[in-house]
Amino acid sequence: MTKRLAVKSVAARAALAVALLLPVLAAAMAVGLAVGAGDLSLAAALHGLEPDATVLYKLRLPRVLLAAEVGAALSVAGVALQALLRNPLADPFVFGLSGGAAVGTAIVVIASGTALGTAAFSAASFLGLLPAQLAAVAGAMAAALLVYTLGRARGQLDPTRALLVGVVFNSFASALVLAVEAILRPEQTQAVLLWLSGTLGYEAMPLLAGAGLALLIPIVILIALAGQLNLLALGDEGAAALGVDVSRTRLLAFFAASAAVGIAVAFTGLVGFVGLVVPHAVRLVLGPDHRVVLPAAALGGAAFLVLADALARVLFRQLGAEPPVGAVTAVIGAPLFVMLLRSRQ
Amino acid sequence: MLLEVLNLHYRHPKASKEAVAGASLDVRAGEVVGVIGPNAAGKSTLARLCCGLIQASAGEVKLGGEPLQKLSRRERARRVAFLPQDPPSDLAFTAREVALMGRAPHLGLWALESASDLARADAALAEASALELADRPVSQLSGGERQRVFLARAFAQDAALLVLDEPTDGLDLAHQVLLVDALRSRARKGGGSLVVLHDLALAGAACDRLILLDAGAVRAEGIPAHVLQAGLLEKTYGTQIDVVQDPMTGLSLVAPRITRERE
Repeated sequence: MTKRLAVKSVAARAALAVALLLPVLAAAMAVGLAVGAGDLSLAAALHGLEPDATVLYKLRLPRVLLAAEVGAALSVAGVALQALLRNPLADPFVFGLSGGAAVGTAIVVIASGTALGTAAFSAASFLGLLPAQLAAVAGAMAAALLVYTLGRARGQLDPTRALLVGVVFNSFASALVLAVEAILRPEQTQAVLLWLSGTLGYEAMPLLAGAGLALLIPIVILIALAGQLNLLALGDEGAAALGVDVSRTRLLAFFAASAAVGIAVAFTGLVGFVGLVVPHAVRLVLGPDHRVVLPAAALGGAAFLVLADALARVLFRQLGAEPPVGAVTAVIGAPLFVMLLRSRQ
Repeated sequence: MLLEVLNLHYRHPKASKEAVAGASLDVRAGEVVGVIGPNAAGKSTLARLCCGLIQASAGEVKLGGEPLQKLSRRERARRVAFLPQDPPSDLAFTAREVALMGRAPHLGLWALESASDLARADAALAEASALELADRPVSQLSGGERQRVFLARAFAQDAALLVLDEPTDGLDLAHQVLLVDALRSRARKGGGSLVVLHDLALAGAACDRLILLDAGAVRAEGIPAHVLQAGLLEKTYGTQIDVVQDPMTGLSLVAPRITRERE
């Protein structure tokens, strides 16, 4: 039996969840700013002393903001896709997004040096991105479109069908990537692999601000759809009987979630488990209502990835290297997920 | 007139025969109308057509005098509430949250319920004798309890017309009586119901009028005593059926004749 907050009104519960989670996120960000590879005096940095100020503002702040944005995007997308598929085990990447991103990256790495590669490089640098990132987003969105097109039955996104198409496409894509890796030079393979396992880098502030604003659109759309996502739990017919335009809701939620994942993928590659563990943890505490779960998952996901990244930086400080943050979320996420699963029984 | 159905036709995708083949019926305010008939007679399909959940290939459905196609989805959901035959069982939502979902067609953009919506949901739970289940997750309820919770959701929708597909499925005798009482009490306040029922005796006792459906068409229609006749039922259901008038109530008791071989 799960515990619920003993407040009846949904608006009050959502407000309470946000009020409780905002300080958690703030604390997580403070930790993220305070720890890292080098020793940093926060007091010195805040007084503008160098090199501490540069480390804080140019390195740690952008990285913490990036982690927060990506964590929020993946968690919200996870909640939405789980509602759409009516499957609590759905990960944001099951729709073939990871496979699409991987193929996109691999293609760019092969193409570098050719005319197509040069064009991709210039287009990407115009947007302030690496060509591999741009290709990954394009690949992920193409995969989403493919899954949406093939995953329909009688004009509607069919959960089981879409899930199967996504899984099959992901296997197909990983076979392609394996084939591509066989013809790449070892250092190219290394680069692709590192990126695919989910890495947080240091992005420029204007780009981060742009990404943050861009992420707000899908998140607001999904929160506005929250009431309808609740009704989808009653089945397509049950939702339709309550006045929901089921195919429109599915279409909107699917592409909003895919866009959020696409933006996250552009910056960090494939960070696994955030979109799976955070929604589950939030539902366990706050119940299944998406009007509460979606805003809470955005804040909780942001805090989770900021902390995971801080942990990655601290743990591997002595080694002088950093594991990709995707590895950390998987190492924390997998056992946590099993614990959550067992506690539900 | 809450519901008017005129010469309705529907064929399932890829099916060779029409599931509903020229059915006509109506439900007036204050009336409980039962739909009976053998398996695959088109009862559930007809119920779905009346709620606009599937599109008829020909014919017309009017809700409150207006053609169904002309109504927005929300407006349609404010005029007709639907209780499906097999409501989902794996919901983490509590019974109260499910009853509140019935308020969805009345809510604004952010879909936030007001205190009066909460009160309406609790009243609906009481009406469906499910108030004591209010705080339990639906996934932990028995089939009959779940049926009552979804009935409460349909009541909370505040639609003039209620379409119920096998609402007594999984209900024990006491709760069947409570369900009929709830429908009759709604009828006294001017609400109407179209109820698909398997139990012919219950249908006869609960309904003002019965519609006997066979192969997608209306075979007989009228007051229960008129429709519940052994000869008619035997021809429709293809088995021997006894109909006895209860001397106490005057109601028709219907039972299939089952002969056991003597050893």
